Amino acid sequence: MKVTIDGKKIEVEGKRTILEVAREKGIYIPSLCDHPRLTPFGGCRLCIVEIKEKGGYPPSCSTYVENGMEIKTRTPRLQNLRKEILELILSEHPNACLICSEKENCDEYKSTIRKVGEVTGCVLCSNNGRCELQDVVETLKIDKVRFPSVYRNLEVKKGDPFFDRDYNLCILCGRCVRVCQELRGAAAVSFIYRGSQAVVGTVLDLPLLESGCQFCGACVDVCPTGSLAERGIRYEDLPDERAKTICPFCSMGCELEIDLKKQKILSSKPSDEGAVNQGQACVRGRFLIKDVVHSPRRILMPLIRLNKELEEVSWEEALDFVAQKLKKFKGKNIALIASPHISCEENFLLRKFASEELKTENVDSSYRFSPLPRIDEMARENGFELNLNFEFKDISKAKTLFLTGEDIPKSHPIMWLEVLKAVQQGAKLIVASPTELSLNRYSSLWLQIKPGTEFYLFSFLSKLFFHEEQETKNPGIEGFDSFKDSLGEFDLSRVFEMTGITREELDEAFVLLREAEDAAFLFGTGLTQHPWGTQNVAALWNLALQAQAKIFPLGLENNLRGVSEIGHNSSDKGLNFNQILQAASSGELKALYLAGPVPYLKKANLEFLVIQDSFVNENFELADAVLPASTFAETDGTFINGEGRLQRFKRVIDPLGDAKPDWWIISQLARRMGSIGFPFKNPSEITKQMIKVIPGFSNISYADLEKGHKVFAQKKMKKEKSFLPVRHIDLNHNKSKKYPFLMILEYSLDYYRSLALSQENKGLKAIRDSRWIKVSPEDTEKLNLEQGERIVVESSSGKFKGFVKIDKSLPKGVLGASFLLSEDSEFSVNGLIPSVFQELHSLGMIPVKIKREK
Amino acid sequence: MEKIMSEYTKVQRELIHLLHDAQSKFGYIPAQMISQISRELKISESEIFGVLTFYKAFTLKPRGEHLITICMGTACHVRGAPMILDEFERKLGIKAGETSEDNQFTLETVNCVGACALGPIAIADGDYHGQMKTREVDEIIKKLKQEKRKSSE
Ligand code: SF4
Ligand code: SF4
Ligand code: SF4
Ligand code: FES
Ligand code: FES
Repeated sequence: MKVTIDGKKIEVEGKRTILEVAREKGIYIPSLCDHPRLTPFGGCRLCIVEIKEKGGYPPSCSTYVENGMEIKTRTPRLQNLRKEILELILSEHPNACLICSEKENCDEYKSTIRKVGEVTGCVLCSNNGRCELQDVVETLKIDKVRFPSVYRNLEVKKGDPFFDRDYNLCILCGRCVRVCQELRGAAAVSFIYRGSQAVVGTVLDLPLLESGCQFCGACVDVCPTGSLAERGIRYEDLPDERAKTICPFCSMGCELEIDLKKQKILSSKPSDEGAVNQGQACVRGRFLIKDVVHSPRRILMPLIRLNKELEEVSWEEALDFVAQKLKKFKGKNIALIASPHISCEENFLLRKFASEELKTENVDSSYRFSPLPRIDEMARENGFELNLNFEFKDISKAKTLFLTGEDIPKSHPIMWLEVLKAVQQGAKLIVASPTELSLNRYSSLWLQIKPGTEFYLFSFLSKLFFHEEQETKNPGIEGFDSFKDSLGEFDLSRVFEMTGITREELDEAFVLLREAEDAAFLFGTGLTQHPWGTQNVAALWNLALQAQAKIFPLGLENNLRGVSEIGHNSSDKGLNFNQILQAASSGELKALYLAGPVPYLKKANLEFLVIQDSFVNENFELADAVLPASTFAETDGTFINGEGRLQRFKRVIDPLGDAKPDWWIISQLARRMGSIGFPFKNPSEITKQMIKVIPGFSNISYADLEKGHKVFAQKKMKKEKSFLPVRHIDLNHNKSKKYPFLMILEYSLDYYRSLALSQENKGLKAIRDSRWIKVSPEDTEKLNLEQGERIVVESSSGKFKGFVKIDKSLPKGVLGASFLLSEDSEFSVNGLIPSVFQELHSLGMIPVKIKREK
Repeated sequence: MEKIMSEYTKVQRELIHLLHDAQSKFGYIPAQMISQISRELKISESEIFGVLTFYKAFTLKPRGEHLITICMGTACHVRGAPMILDEFERKLGIKAGETSEDNQFTLETVNCVGACALGPIAIADGDYHGQMKTREVDEIIKKLKQEKRKSSE
């Protein structure tokens, strides 16, 4: 269709608003409440236009273009109306500075007098001049406000982590309300009260902490005024530089923009252009980057132990020391732990270093906790390989979603946004989870399953599928008959009792799955962390084939996929992660090189231990040498996110202190050990070699990667899909008199290298402390426990400590805690199980008792 | 999209229905009702709170024995309603929308009661007081208190 805007002829396709079209063509229409990523609101009325042969002044943000429309955006009449509207808005906003005649000369004062509680003008506002209200005042040339000014004198809300809310500055544009509801699905804030009392707020005016807020910061980012202000930059100066990077905290791989001042990180924001995240992130990427990089726990000098204590030395000395020592331990004597937090290049070098210099096959990382290797493993055991690549945005196209084993708004925030989109477009969501999740609000069906019994749920549903199609024909997928037979031997009569799900609910789930077109199954560590994890996955896999669903394993650490492509220990010749840890205490190993975090190695019996890490940790007391590695922000490299997408990240700041990038440290050591295979001067040289050598990268061109084009690791798909026979598993995790509670453990991603994020950052600690032990309100009352009280949890084989957190979402008799790889030993659930790593996936549910700490 | 919209209005209607039920059953909306409704209707607690504070029909606390309503419509506003409200707030020691501790008085505001010519207007237990002056506030409160005494004698 054709329209004219201000005399300009424009061709338009599809349903677009006038404002959208104008923006695209570079025609500026003042607007405040509209935001390109949110539904039109039509609240501020600044965006009014005139349309020929139509009366009135319709708002362009919520008026759709029609063929032949002749639109005018800047007639004198419109400008006058806009001025009046803006003056009305300003009468309820501190406006002295906005219309001050000294405005131009005032800038230099701004940065010094901002430390006040009450913002009565722009000079005191933490928006630091990045204010859309200022912008429209500027364009509409407002120099007076003809209405009486009102200061609402509302209490500034400072009780929540990360940002303050000063609704005295609020212009009620509703962007925060819409972003929170439409994009994040949290709906933690809403318009409350009405008329002159109307304000943005939470239920009963409670803190955001109690209103379902995810602390994603999306509201702060869309707020056009200074009402929502990030506390961390409140008193900081304006940035002098901005850089981009990839968030290192989870497998979403959000692109972030980092603001810097004199090489110090001030803050981080999701980048609008981020291929994956498009302007969204989560609490970690939005608010924790600065604290992690500039953590007081950073190690900034190499340390070696010549006598009793670790002593600071120069790199020369440290590298010589380590190189000399390492030469003595070769092959079976030594092992190396890699890391899912460092780049592909660095993992590649670690592997090269291990095989060429240490001559050992004993290399692994903690990555086996994840669903990804589990499903990969399952496929390989059964002789086929899987395509692990997908795009997060595919999820939004699903019509039925089945979600198990993860609380994804928390663990996979960007994938959650896609699930939400699907639901908003009418998709049905089935959730199987033992606890009540905030996302249940969006579900068509919540199966409150007893922890760890998913296997029975899936198998029963599979049986229903068979039942339905009495003379079931083989859908042409291999393994059908043996699967059917294996299932036939199952006694599922106790399924309701075992899973805690009723027949009606199961039938409902079945109907939803049977009717499903374009179904998507998302599953997380809740399934894979049991000893029978592979069986869980196999059962889900079969069900997915029957329902013709796509399967989406949820990733964990940011570069886990990278680690798996590099293929540490893929030959299965050497020791794996848990075997390495065991061998370290049994004396089987003589030396250990830690480039990734491991739990406290109290019982280690080693001759030589090297730690290459960015943060101080408990294992330092056993270390013979500590090599200070820089963080992701101080180097270049590639991460692979949960989709299989390779993403380049660039150095944001220079390495702090004497810290050096991991690739540099390894190359230096190798050279000192006499190698000529590590001549790298920068990470790009490593990238080039890596993509030549690693099979999963053979389709990749370096130029594409460097240019930031869409690049994926190679798809694997060797053989057609096939059903898998299932084995009956015995669930033997019963509560007893002695251990009357079941503990559900949740694999936590709140760590980076050996830093526990919630211990580092007060804000995250208030939201979710890794040391919380969650107790249902009923049990709290029965045991007379108090919030925050220190308790000890004991199982038949060990114990650990934590703090009581009353949690409404837990059924009684069930406790919740998180498993964090970098937790201090005293508080680590490691203490509960003989070795978490021995029974690698036995993090499911453990019979325990609790008592007060004496 | 249309499907979602009609879903949305359906939920809104149900919400208002449930709130009415609670209000007439308890005389106010107890806080636990909000979480209960949130589960039932699958909308967030803050959204429910938004709706319930939008309508004057719902209150979060039981109303006091006497209800004083101040009109804050435009006409009353320009004729000094804010001062009248201030005075009531000061004298009763509560803010608009609140109920005094002894459960005697509830103070509320409303937008235009259709008697603009008489503004500012205060309505005390159903009696309209037009052209209010701040000094009349005390009298009204006293009178209401006496009524109470009468009724309790
Ligand atoms: S931080 Fe995120 S979840 Fe919290 S109120 Fe803002 S938009 Fe909503
Ligand atoms: S707080 Fe900001 S985003 Fe929210 S309504 Fe007010 S001005 Fe708009
Ligand atoms: S932690 Fe994950 S979701 Fe959060 S900002 Fe980082 S990459 Fe994005
Ligand atoms: S931008 Fe259109 S009404 Fe606010
Ligand atoms: S400058 Fe403070 S609100 Fe805009």
